[in-house]
Amino acid sequence: MLRTPLATASLLALAITLAGCGESPAPSTQAAPTANSASSAPFEQAAAQAVVKHYADLALAVFSDAHSTALALQQAIETLLAEPNEANLQAARNAWLAARTPYMQSEVFRFGNPVVDDWEGQLNAWPLDEGLIDYVAAGYDHAQGNPGATANIIANQTIQVGEDSLDVSTLTPQLLASLNELGGSEANVATGYHAIEFLLWGQDLNGSAAGAGNRPASDYAQGEACSGGHCERRAQYLRAATELLVSDLAEMVGQWQANQTGNYRASLEAEPAANGLRKMLFGMGSLSLGELAGERMKVALEAQSTEDEHDCFSDNTHNSHYYNAKGVQNVYLGQYQKADGSLLSGPSLASLVAKIDATADQQLQADLQATDKALQAMVDSAEQGQHFDQLIAADNSAGQQIVRNAIAALVKQTASIEQAAARLGISDLNPDTADHSF
Amino acid sequence: MRPLHLFVLCSALGLVACSPSDPRQSASASLANDMLLPAYQAWASASAQLPVSAQALCATPQPADNALPQARQDLQTAQRSWAALQPLQLGPLSEGNRAWQVQFWPDKKNLVRRQVENLIDQHPALSRAQLERASVVVQGLSAYEYLLFDSQLDLARPADRQRYCALLGHIAGHQQQLSAQILAELQGEQGFLKHLQQFPNTRFAEADEALAELLRAQVNGLDLLKKKLGTAIGKLSKGIPQPLQAEFWRSQASLDSLAAAVHSAEQLWQGQADQGIASLLDDTQQPLRQRIDQAYADIRQQLAALQQPLDKLLSNDAGRAQLDALYVSLDRLHRLQERDLAGALGIQLGFNAHDGD
Repeated sequence: MLRTPLATASLLALAITLAGCGESPAPSTQAAPTANSASSAPFEQAAAQAVVKHYADLALAVFSDAHSTALALQQAIETLLAEPNEANLQAARNAWLAARTPYMQSEVFRFGNPVVDDWEGQLNAWPLDEGLIDYVAAGYDHAQGNPGATANIIANQTIQVGEDSLDVSTLTPQLLASLNELGGSEANVATGYHAIEFLLWGQDLNGSAAGAGNRPASDYAQGEACSGGHCERRAQYLRAATELLVSDLAEMVGQWQANQTGNYRASLEAEPAANGLRKMLFGMGSLSLGELAGERMKVALEAQSTEDEHDCFSDNTHNSHYYNAKGVQNVYLGQYQKADGSLLSGPSLASLVAKIDATADQQLQADLQATDKALQAMVDSAEQGQHFDQLIAADNSAGQQIVRNAIAALVKQTASIEQAAARLGISDLNPDTADHSF
Repeated sequence: MRPLHLFVLCSALGLVACSPSDPRQSASASLANDMLLPAYQAWASASAQLPVSAQALCATPQPADNALPQARQDLQTAQRSWAALQPLQLGPLSEGNRAWQVQFWPDKKNLVRRQVENLIDQHPALSRAQLERASVVVQGLSAYEYLLFDSQLDLARPADRQRYCALLGHIAGHQQQLSAQILAELQGEQGFLKHLQQFPNTRFAEADEALAELLRAQVNGLDLLKKKLGTAIGKLSKGIPQPLQAEFWRSQASLDSLAAAVHSAEQLWQGQADQGIASLLDDTQQPLRQRIDQAYADIRQQLAALQQPLDKLLSNDAGRAQLDALYVSLDRLHRLQERDLAGALGIQLGFNAHDGD
């Protein structure tokens, strides 16, 4: 099998054409060529199976942490709603930030695993037209042709979308879930981390200047102190969205529990080990290149568009990017530092690759390390007061360079992921995705 | 592996350039000279027309009557020649985000309008240097199209010319310079086109690598076409059409662009005098060749049967059915080339920037 270096620049240049959340890799009209029959694979089956099993352990640990930190967020939000003051709002925001740390490390499990990819839109769809949810400032810009862009669910008992009138008088998790992609617009995101982020922070009206969203705690005050109007509905909305987040995460934890007949993990472990390795590598490469380097950094950078920033309300984008990349490293090294500080480690992809080609392994490890460093620079910048939306400003060439360095590191690591895949004899990186529609 | 043997032999003999007896080398060389070069030349010459008609339109005190139609026509020629490069984005065009400087798509939130208006508000007497420092959104054909075709603007009005002419002229100049620069980097002794002809070179160790690069560009181009059509017809939005998310919707050039891009993808496949990618399939692989030939023919026929612009087709059931069928055909072609053809030629395409969500 011929192996050529990835023309990374040209691929990344196309990243802007990514159309948005909820879309999945193309289906295949025929079975992917699987060159990894047990007899010809360059790795031991038992070793590879152990790696895939540990991959599932990692997923279980990451999603379990995402669930437990979401429960802590829910508790902090209940405290805020019971007693809406600035201290409780800050505590809820801190809980949201803490909940993002494990969740962002879970995204490497998307792409290759349909059970995650088909599920995640309800939790992390972005960017959103926040006027669907609540009040927005004058001059708010939204997706063209989005009939729900200014629906303001919180302020209305019924909303009009095109010719349809929808009853939204009772804000339940199920109702909110049904409003996602309302009227066909992917910018209509009614649920998930970013909807909750908007409800905790509000719009970031600072453009490329310093500062995040600045929603007052009084937006949740009941009675005369209520600011922004409809505080009771806003509280209901926040409570329902959080409840949905928690239950969605609980469901995903269940999919990765060991020894459960019929869950996703059972089917993953029953597949040939090479398929599991393919899913691992596909997730690593897709997150590195198309998603993180392309969609989440390059679009915002080149278009100088702060609305294409990932955590645009809270200005937590640096951490989200950092932990996305950390997730890629976790899968390769077979390790994960849990929310309680303990380290989970076990049979790794790295060890499989190293047995076949130590140089390819060292190269990928070095690249993962370089990416970690490049994204650490973005985190350091934010902690010193200059956040992602400031880095991409037109006149901030030093800031732009920080983003460019991170993109370049991710592009380089993608080429090494391909190299490692080739050494493992994984020729077709795209797992079978026949159940997807696009 | 034959190409490798050739490479070793060439090196052993100390030859600078092997005679192109290897089919992969001759295909790559032929596609470079007979396909890429004319396509990039057409784009550069269409881009060079933009400043001419922009200047005529912005003439004081009063432009000629046909100045606005001429400027619009020149834009459409540039759009078509640019669209033809979609499956040919490799080498200098693929570096340094230059493609984004020509076209900004998708523009979900109408950044083109917002950024153009903000730029002019900030710099009423806009300089070329100020445009060069601004975002890619305002530097390319998408912004140029906004100036010439948006329903809120009319450059036949003196007040609009007063406000927008500086930007119009600078975008035209930027496009002329950018396309000329890229063409220059393709040509010449150290140019990218040479790298597609003589091996080894600083970019490709052997013809196989060059060929893989060509196939990758073509497959990525087809994927991009699917994205562009798919977005407009509602593949990402529960089947609800999104005409304002189509490329070049203001000038109704979406389908023309698609046709131009498919045409050049097919040229890359067929080549001149049967020197394209298709020629590399051996006798046992002829059924695959026929399937791909047929897929291109299907798309050509379907495109020819579309009698209305995209937004009109999207507004009625029959039109939507035609576009859905076209999408299915594009998808089939993309799949045939991405999986079957790449597999048949032994080429690993690797990660694609579209693999994100």
